[in-house]
Amino acid sequence: MDSSTLVSVSDGWVRTTTLTDTATLDPLHDEPTPPRFRRRGRITMWVSGAWLLFIVFSAVGASFLPYVNHSCDQFENEDLCTTHVETNPLLAERPPSWALFSETSRPVVGDAPERFGLFGTDTNGYDLFSRTMFGARNSLLIGALSISFGILIGGMLGLVAGYMGKRVDKIIDTIMNILLAFPALLLAIFIVGFFDSSTTTEAESRSIVPIVIALVILSIPPIARLVRANTIVFAQREFVLAARSLGAKNSRIIMREILPNVMPAMVTFAITGMAILIVAEGALAYLGLSVTAPTPTWGAMIFGGQTKLETAWWISIMPSIILFVTVLAINLLGDALSEKFRIREAIG
Amino acid sequence: MKYFLRKLGQLVIVVFAVTFTVSLALGAIPYAEERIIAAKGSGAINEEEKNKLLDSLNLREPTLVQYGYFVGDLVTLDWGVTLNGNQPISSSISDGLKISLRLMIYGQLVALLLAIPAAVFAAYRSGGLFDRFSTTFSFGFISTPNYVLATVLGLLLTVRWKLFPAISTDVGFFEAPWDHFTNFFLPTIVLALPLAGTYMRLLRSDLINTLQSDFITTARAKGVSTPRILFGHALRPSLFSLVTAAAVNVGALVGGSVVVETAFNLNGLGRRTVLGIFASEFRLVQITVVVLALVYVMTNFLVDILYGFLDPRVRVGRLG
Repeated sequence: MDSSTLVSVSDGWVRTTTLTDTATLDPLHDEPTPPRFRRRGRITMWVSGAWLLFIVFSAVGASFLPYVNHSCDQFENEDLCTTHVETNPLLAERPPSWALFSETSRPVVGDAPERFGLFGTDTNGYDLFSRTMFGARNSLLIGALSISFGILIGGMLGLVAGYMGKRVDKIIDTIMNILLAFPALLLAIFIVGFFDSSTTTEAESRSIVPIVIALVILSIPPIARLVRANTIVFAQREFVLAARSLGAKNSRIIMREILPNVMPAMVTFAITGMAILIVAEGALAYLGLSVTAPTPTWGAMIFGGQTKLETAWWISIMPSIILFVTVLAINLLGDALSEKFRIREAIG
Repeated sequence: MKYFLRKLGQLVIVVFAVTFTVSLALGAIPYAEERIIAAKGSGAINEEEKNKLLDSLNLREPTLVQYGYFVGDLVTLDWGVTLNGNQPISSSISDGLKISLRLMIYGQLVALLLAIPAAVFAAYRSGGLFDRFSTTFSFGFISTPNYVLATVLGLLLTVRWKLFPAISTDVGFFEAPWDHFTNFFLPTIVLALPLAGTYMRLLRSDLINTLQSDFITTARAKGVSTPRILFGHALRPSLFSLVTAAAVNVGALVGGSVVVETAFNLNGLGRRTVLGIFASEFRLVQITVVVLALVYVMTNFLVDILYGFLDPRVRVGRLG
């Protein structure tokens, strides 16, 4: 039997290593199935890549693209629009222009311009589509920053633990165990709450810094574990032995010999990890603990629309959809990449 | 035995570190004293009472002494009362634990009930229509944040069609079975679907591996019926990673269902902690976190020990 699946139990993160290519043999039927994953995989990869490109493009260039900060921007007499919003905020929620099935059109007061957008508008009259795209900026920034620092710190710890072994490995492993013992979200909440320096329970404004710190701490243990496991494999290879016998320093061996080999696994994990962290930020926001209103994130937008679900479902559903599609795209891309790397490893 | 002792040693270290950090954290919170007093109801309290309150929490002692008191209180179950409601912390935690455990058990059961048949069938006709369908769906479930799922399901099933109450209340099963069902249905589903996706993927890939092995061919050659091969022969050796994941989730879900609890307004352990952080109920938070960490660490410990018995490979070597 040339297949084996090993699972490491102790970490709390289940790690499976499958050593066979699973897709090709159908055991209960005699003829092998054709490798049909190839084509479909490529198409989904392109589609998800295109979607991510669009989101990243929107996030980076939201200020320059024709996204409106406020739905009233599209009308000449902005005052008219905003006054009505101020006097009767309920009138601001407009369903998406295509959502004819929604219980629509409360009459707009006076001669205020009709407000609507691709995704409708929210309680403040903001155009939801634009706001979602501006929200992408924060969500992606938080996700990217935290996974970068997480990879940096966790990767370093994993490399050192995996290469040095013995005592160092044990110490780092224990620290990771301790970090994992705290319930993940509660740890994040505590860290974010900790940085609220005011005495009141709700801070006036919250920057992304504590959120990033919280997410970095959450992401360190799994990354360290993954990198450690990969490092152990490479630390026993001949080229490392060769480098050592040539008198290379430990730091050089780690950085020049092992790191490049561990890189593919790290990159793949970084991609999926980013999706997880974007979702985690949303969860924090859902619990009322993310950046505050003027700078929306997707999570905060979803949370903001919760109370309006009955009358204006689009306020939280629209960002939900965007978030879902983005996470799905990232996951699909990560999956495709890991397949690719596994195949390459199997050959080389 | 050596393996057992090593794991036990790790357990002790982790428990010590967790309690120590939790105890220390109180001192690190900015304006902890002010927040506690504010939580107590600031107007009515005078200087003397204030001092008494702070003394009773040992806030002004040196760190190590604080830790000593904290552990002492933990061990003797002298957990005190909450700052505002005067509810004993122990009863608050046991109430929360009841709800969290219930959610966890239901969620796991539903997830496993969905995942195992789906995975078996998908693996049996791997590459077939059902396989593609279910793999896509499980991927979708995994990629759905639970708050998004809660929002969408809440919109459709409670707001639109009014099938379920929007806010779940904790109704006991034996008091009112139907109400119990309607109240716990949505939270369970929201919890279970992403889990089911993960479980299905794990079991499917393991099953496909198992189905390629020789003893399956032998069984087929003997003329064993397909359902018997799948459920009687192939399933058991393929369960390893699924059982591991499920077992680890037992510990993780007790405190990890905060979002679901919040979405459906269930006062589980996680939600109580979050509310406690907002309300500056630091003592409640400290003790809850310790309890949650203990549950998590203990389940992991038990899983480790169990696998040490079941699979010698785990006990002897590192699997990295």
